[in-house]
Amino acid sequence: METPKGDRFSQIRAVLGNQAVSMSAILILMWFLLSLMSPYFFTVANLSEITLQTAVIGIIAAGQTLVILSGGIDLSVGSVFAASGIAGGLVFQATGNLWLTLGGTILCAAALGSLNGLFITRLRVPPFIATLGMLGMARGLALILSRGIPIFGLSKDYLWIGQGKISNVIPVPTIILLAVYTFVFSIARYTRFGRFVYATGSNAEAAELSGINLGYVYLGTYALSGLLCGVGAVIEAARLGTVQPAGGNGYELLAIGAVVIGGTSLFGGEGNVIATLIGALLETTIRNGLNLLGVNAFWQYVVNGAVIIAAVAVDQWRRGL
Amino acid sequence: MLKGVDFELHAGEVHALLGENGAGKSTLIKIMSGAYAADSGSIWFRDKIVGGHYGPRVAEELGIVTIYQHFHLIPHLTVAENLALKSFLTEPGWLVNWRRVDRIAAEALARLQFPIDSAARVKDLSVAQQQMLEIAIALSKKAQVIVMDEPTAALSKRETEVLFSLIGHLKEQGLGVVYVSHKLEEIKTIGNRITVLRDGNNVATLDAKTAELNEIIRLMIGASRVTESRHFSHPREKILFSAHQLRNKHFRQPFDLSVYEHEIVGITGLVGAGKTELTRVLFGADARSGGDIRFAGINLPHQRPRGTVKHGLGYVPENRDSKGLCLNLTVAENLGLASLVKLKGWLFDRAAQRNIVRQAISSMRIRTRGPNQPVKYLSGGNKQKVVLGKWLAASCKLLLLDEPTIGIDVGARQDIYRLIREFRLEPDHAVILASSDIDEVLEVANRIVVLSDYRIVAELDPAQTSKQQILELCTRRTAA
Repeated sequence: METPKGDRFSQIRAVLGNQAVSMSAILILMWFLLSLMSPYFFTVANLSEITLQTAVIGIIAAGQTLVILSGGIDLSVGSVFAASGIAGGLVFQATGNLWLTLGGTILCAAALGSLNGLFITRLRVPPFIATLGMLGMARGLALILSRGIPIFGLSKDYLWIGQGKISNVIPVPTIILLAVYTFVFSIARYTRFGRFVYATGSNAEAAELSGINLGYVYLGTYALSGLLCGVGAVIEAARLGTVQPAGGNGYELLAIGAVVIGGTSLFGGEGNVIATLIGALLETTIRNGLNLLGVNAFWQYVVNGAVIIAAVAVDQWRRGL
Repeated sequence: MLKGVDFELHAGEVHALLGENGAGKSTLIKIMSGAYAADSGSIWFRDKIVGGHYGPRVAEELGIVTIYQHFHLIPHLTVAENLALKSFLTEPGWLVNWRRVDRIAAEALARLQFPIDSAARVKDLSVAQQQMLEIAIALSKKAQVIVMDEPTAALSKRETEVLFSLIGHLKEQGLGVVYVSHKLEEIKTIGNRITVLRDGNNVATLDAKTAELNEIIRLMIGASRVTESRHFSHPREKILFSAHQLRNKHFRQPFDLSVYEHEIVGITGLVGAGKTELTRVLFGADARSGGDIRFAGINLPHQRPRGTVKHGLGYVPENRDSKGLCLNLTVAENLGLASLVKLKGWLFDRAAQRNIVRQAISSMRIRTRGPNQPVKYLSGGNKQKVVLGKWLAASCKLLLLDEPTIGIDVGARQDIYRLIREFRLEPDHAVILASSDIDEVLEVANRIVVLSDYRIVAELDPAQTSKQQILELCTRRTAA
């Protein structure tokens, strides 16, 4: 494990040693290159569009970060997103009340997330399987509740959440994105719960023998991951003006991708929340850039998948330094 | 490790190898099995010199087979597949010749004269059956010499008898058996000769039938190292912690244990006597099936550690890396963990936490580059201080320590003893120290509890006992 000492080398190590730093550098480089390639890229309109496009995935990825930090994984985010969106849409159809709709969406999402937590703590099903099962169940729930038909006709004040702009520049979803990251970052860093998440992810047995209630950690992380899927569902519905029962398909790939691109270890206990935001921005930038360059949209999946693998490969290589 | 050992094994004999932990028994058997190299000296096998290092493959060709304490069986395969595994590896072709597998298995099991279903999966076998299967595999390798490392550690009395009759059978076939064990009475039953190792030297080779037990123990300890017992007795006024008629899946026989205020109770016994299980059930890490635990006047119902920690218990597990520490977190995060658990509410006072950590690092003399260094980069002794410090920082009242000084250097060991002694002087504080190192228990404890086979066999005053007496109590086979 000894590495050669030498100031030069250890300096390089310290900089490379942080995945978030290297990913930020790559993000800035990418912005620079894209602005050379497309005159439209570095405009206020396009940059705010990137943050807007990042909002939904970024918010879901924030919750996913906590889950992965605790040593778990949440594969059900895309389906929970769809099911809670539909549930909220039905509340809207029934009542037409904005607040009840928001509450319904988020409550349904948090309940499905808590159910994940209960499967894991009470039934002792491994997170991968519990959330894989939920991926199926929640998707089915979305299709059953909506009878497979999208929900239209959301009210104007609802649409403002997705389409409004503060002083005509900053999109509302961008504000929500920043608020969510401030919130989740504070949980991870400043609350006892957040510290327990790290300890559990690092060594669940040592954490338990130190007196940590693991059930509470797991329930909390999965409930929060679910809840944030609901927040994402509200924004997406308001942006598109409709709720799709097939929505959120493949979001687990993007959300988990954002977390690992940010350098959070899939083994748990290592990583941070802000790095996930950078990972999510990187993913959106790639999609946005490929769009501007006129690349076929189907290729975006391929590139996104490849970037995730490359990011983890770089991370592994970096750890071996 | 070894400093010039002579050892010879006759055909058809069981030669027992005895010695304390660290005397060199494992090193010697690893050299025999080819796993380690000898620095000098030579090994002869049937009138031929085979050199000091020949590698495991040559050892197998010669017919020297070692059966370790931890089995090398594949749990999800059947008995027959485990027996035929070697032919899987050497035979050409893609397909398995199942008829051949069955034949190999049947032959090997026939030699064993012990009923094992060849179609059963290894994970479903009892420990004794697995042990027998290991021996069957050894025999199928055309073994001439079988080295057994603590073969009865996990066996019941009846299973031990079955093993002994098998060993007797092997002797008749002219095999040589090297038998490593702590259980002296067993060795007198099964062994022909005994060689005692101490500090890497062979001190004596005796006839097993005529050797006296206390003579063997004296040879193992060495006259010079019989420790002076230290007087530590403390007025026993107040019972701080007591277990009454406690039972669980390990402790079938209910037991009682009381700990007085300011007391350090040393729990000792051989490996496998139940020390770890005892500390775990007292801490709440293992469930109990009956009995009560009272602590500081309060009855503790069965609680997971999350409950007992809040009452003031603290636990230092045997394996600090896998159970004591969050290795990729920092020194500060690990030190602050238990005190964080005991706080209430969502937020916590970060400055206060930092202070606790800084104090612990300086008062415990933890050598670290700073509180934010990942704990995995610390040395063993400093890691252990972090585990201990976690509980001291959380102001716990009863410390349960399981092998707290295993694998750490002398300096850190003395620091840990000092911390334990200071700890117990606080009001309403006490320590339970489980250790297989009898010297350690004699040095640190105020009272010694001897465990054997999940039973408390004696409670001793360290001022009025000796290492010899404790070792005799540890090795005495309890009637099943």
